[in-house]
This record gives sequence, structure tokens and C-alpha cells, in this order.
Amino acid sequence: MLKPPHWEMMIVWYFFLGGIAGGAYFTAAIADNFGSARDRGVARVGYLLSLPLVALCGLLLVADLGVPTRFMNMMRVFKFSDPMSLGAWAVGVFGLFTFVSSVLSLSSSPSHAALRRKIGFVGIFFGFFLASYTGVLLSNSALPFWRDARLMGALFLASGASTGIAAITLIMFATGQATGDGWHKLKRADHVSMIIELVLLVALIGLLGAAAKPLISGHFAPLFWGGLVGVGLVVPFVLDFVAHRTRAVGALAAALILVGGFVLRYVVLMSIQA
Amino acid sequence: MARTLAMFTDTSLCIGCRACQVACKQWNELGLEVPEWTGGYQNHAHFTDKTFRLVRFIEEPGAKPNGDLAWLLMSDVCKHCAQAGCLDACPTGAIYRTEYGTVNINQDVCNGCRYCVSSCPFGVVAFNESTGTAKKCTFCNDRIHNGLGPACAKACPTESIQFGFRDELVAKAGKRVEALKGMGFKDAQLYGADTGGFLGGLNAFFLLLSKPSVYNLPDNPKLPQRNVVVDSLLSIGSALVVGLGVLLSFRERGKGGPHRDA
Repeated sequence: MLKPPHWEMMIVWYFFLGGIAGGAYFTAAIADNFGSARDRGVARVGYLLSLPLVALCGLLLVADLGVPTRFMNMMRVFKFSDPMSLGAWAVGVFGLFTFVSSVLSLSSSPSHAALRRKIGFVGIFFGFFLASYTGVLLSNSALPFWRDARLMGALFLASGASTGIAAITLIMFATGQATGDGWHKLKRADHVSMIIELVLLVALIGLLGAAAKPLISGHFAPLFWGGLVGVGLVVPFVLDFVAHRTRAVGALAAALILVGGFVLRYVVLMSIQA
Repeated sequence: MARTLAMFTDTSLCIGCRACQVACKQWNELGLEVPEWTGGYQNHAHFTDKTFRLVRFIEEPGAKPNGDLAWLLMSDVCKHCAQAGCLDACPTGAIYRTEYGTVNINQDVCNGCRYCVSSCPFGVVAFNESTGTAKKCTFCNDRIHNGLGPACAKACPTESIQFGFRDELVAKAGKRVEALKGMGFKDAQLYGADTGGFLGGLNAFFLLLSKPSVYNLPDNPKLPQRNVVVDSLLSIGSALVVGLGVLLSFRERGKGGPHRDA
């Protein structure tokens, strides 16, 4: 009897890319503020990655509207208790942060670097927000499974971190920056995020109880177990464990983490709408 | 705010003529839909972007004393909840509460994000592909602002749908339930009449002859947004743990504090 909102592929992509943008940005800003000079490459890649992604996110959101030309109507109101309203504002504000941080990351002047760190420090908050609010948005709807998933926002945040870091890892590998200490720090951060993600996933399913059915035993169950838990979480861990010295294997693991992040958004959105 | 208006649908009086459904279609110019096979007399199966009043035909095999099929008939509609999930979800302000307490969608403002569709605990709000906006019962906003009742109530030949001031209708409905119980309808009950009950009360409330679930109504509908604070706090907790994990991964070991190069 309840009606799904028909948030389909464009919103799956938005949730996925928004998570990466948020995760890559806050990772970059944390590395920038608390890492060493050698982590500046990670910070630059993270900032520069989040900018085009958040732009793409905005376009996806506008294109998915019933009347795209009215997208500015979201700016008529600011509803503090409404995830959709806050989210629309946050995409815009976060976009500004990614732009300024990206521009400043291209400069080598120390004063610019100091400013970049300060801006990044504040932007961490918006990165966290973008990565997690989509989960809170779903868990505050009237639809079964979504409405019961208290930890959806928390899980999306951890997944945003793991996929954001994986995306940075892949770019570092592809651009020949996968060297020394920085690579291991990235891998370590990704593993920490994935462990948190796994713990949250188990807790989410445990708390859902029977409401987890669309995810774990329905039509989408093979994709959930195989695509997210297997390919997206367990296999990357195994790969990194057995071949942690081989950069190419590390890059492959990062690619699989991205696949897992996409599958998570896909099964969560589509399992009760398809 | 003016005195709250309401619609009281007394399902014990409904004869399933669908005059309300047709009157709603005509007054609101809702247009044609291809009927669907529902396995019974009811059509359509659910509310749509072009069906705001819907007579439900609920069959109860063997429910009559002689073993015959019994009918429960109910003219269903948007509940115009005092605490409305669709209204809380709307990020554009297109969904608003009128001075009469009803809930309406401003079609010139709605941009079709569809969050209201997923936020209605009754599955009422529907998306219209051609206008790109969300649609639902307007409580005949144009009519009530000109001293007329909603088209459905006007058309109802048995006064199953009554329109008026909410407090008066609730008092009337209470007496009707007692009368029906006296006549042997032991499960007769009001649904949504109590402003201290779920969703702060419904401004379109019902008299049912059986449990709400028999009519495909939720027994205790809840406001979708009730967990927004808890869920946000859990996300903040996750952010702190993840943030700390990433921070410790990047921090230089054995150096105690952040290392600055500039």
C-alpha cells in the first residue's frame, strides 16, 4: 500500500558518488591537518577529486527532479529537521568548500597552505554530512526496512570513508604516486574504515531483525552477500593481507571496495523499490 | 487559524456506489486511467496521481451468520494528518497546512523530489509523470474557500461522507459508534478521531466496522520523521569513530602531535 518514491539509478549514483566526495574530502582534510608534509599528495588528490564529484552530484539531483527547472525551490526554505532540505543546502555549501580547497591545493605558498588547512578543517564537517545524510533521509521515510534502519546514516558514513579513500588510492596508483609511507597510511585508513563499516553492517542487520529481509534474503540477497560483503569487503581484506607489498594488488582491492560501495547503495535503494 | 474543518467517513453507511470517486475525478479534472484487474469490485487498487477518493471493497468470505460473503465498504481518502509526514518531508515548502487545518500541495512550487511520496504512512501521495509533481487530495481547497463542502461529501447519497467542523463531527461520530455497538456491531470504532492519538489526529477520520488492518490501514501509524535526532546522533558517532581512525592512520607515529611543515 505504501508508495516507493522511484529514486532509481540516478539516485543510486548520487548516493555512491556523494559518499566518495564526502569521504575523499574529509580524508584529504584530515591528512592535510594531522599528517606530515608527505601526505600533501593525498590531500591534493582528495580535494581535487571531491570537486568534480560534487558537481556531478548536483547535476544528478537536479536531473532526477520531476521539474528540474524548479531545483532552486529547495532554497526557498531551510528546514532543520528535514534531511532532504538540509541535504540540498549541504551539497551547495560542500561544493564551495571543495572548490576553494582544490584551488588552494594547487598553490605552494605557505600562507595558502595554512588557509587551506583551516578551510579543510571546517569542511570536514560538511564531508561527514554529505556522506551520511542520505542514510538518515531513507531511515526517516514511511517505507519498511528503510524506516527501521537506525544505523543507515552511520553505515553510509563509514562506506563513504572506505570508498573515498579507495578512490584516492586508485588515483595515487594510476598517477604513479603510490610510494612509500603515504600508500601504507592510505591503506591503513581504508582498513580502519572498512572494519567500522563491517561492524556497523552487522549491527544494522542485527537491529533490523525481520525488517532486514529485503536485504539479506530477498531477490537482492545474492548481490548483497556476493557484491557487498564478498567482493566489496572480504576479498579486498584478503588481497591486502596476502599481498600487501604489491601495489597493483592494493589497487585492485581499492577498485573492489568501490564496487562494494556501489552495490550497498544499489541494494538499499532498489530492494524495496524494484 | 480558523476552526478546523474535517471529513468524517462513516463506513457503516457506505453502499459502494462510488459517487464520491466520480465526483472527485470530475471536480478536480483528474483524467482517465486504465482500470486494472484487482480480483474484486474495487478499482483502482491504490490511490494514484489521478485517484484521490477510492472506495475500498473488502470481501470477508463466510463472515455473515448464514455463511455468506460479507462486504466491508470504505471510501478512503488522504487523512490530512495533524502531524503530516508529507508536510514535514517537503523541502520546498510546496506542501502546506491551510487555515482550516487541511494539508495541500502547491502545484506551482513542487519540484518533484518525491520525498513526500515515501513519507506518507498511508501511501496516499503519488507522483504525476506529466506534471512532474506530487499529487493528492486537496480537500477541495477551492470549494472550501468558497463555502462549499468537498465534492465527494456533496455527492455522497447516504451521508457516509460528512463535512463540517471537526469538533462537531467527532462528537457526532462518538454517538454513532455507541449506537452501532448497541445494534451489535461490536468492533465498531473510530479511526483517527482522537487528537491525542496517532499523528495528532486525522482531519479526515473514519468510523470502521472492524479492525483497521482489515481495511489495509496501519493500526498505529507513526510520523516518519520521529527518529531524525537519534539517527543523526548515530551518524555523528560514526563520524567521530571514522574520523579518529583516519586521523590516527595519518598521524606520524612517535611524534605525539600534528606535524606541520609550513
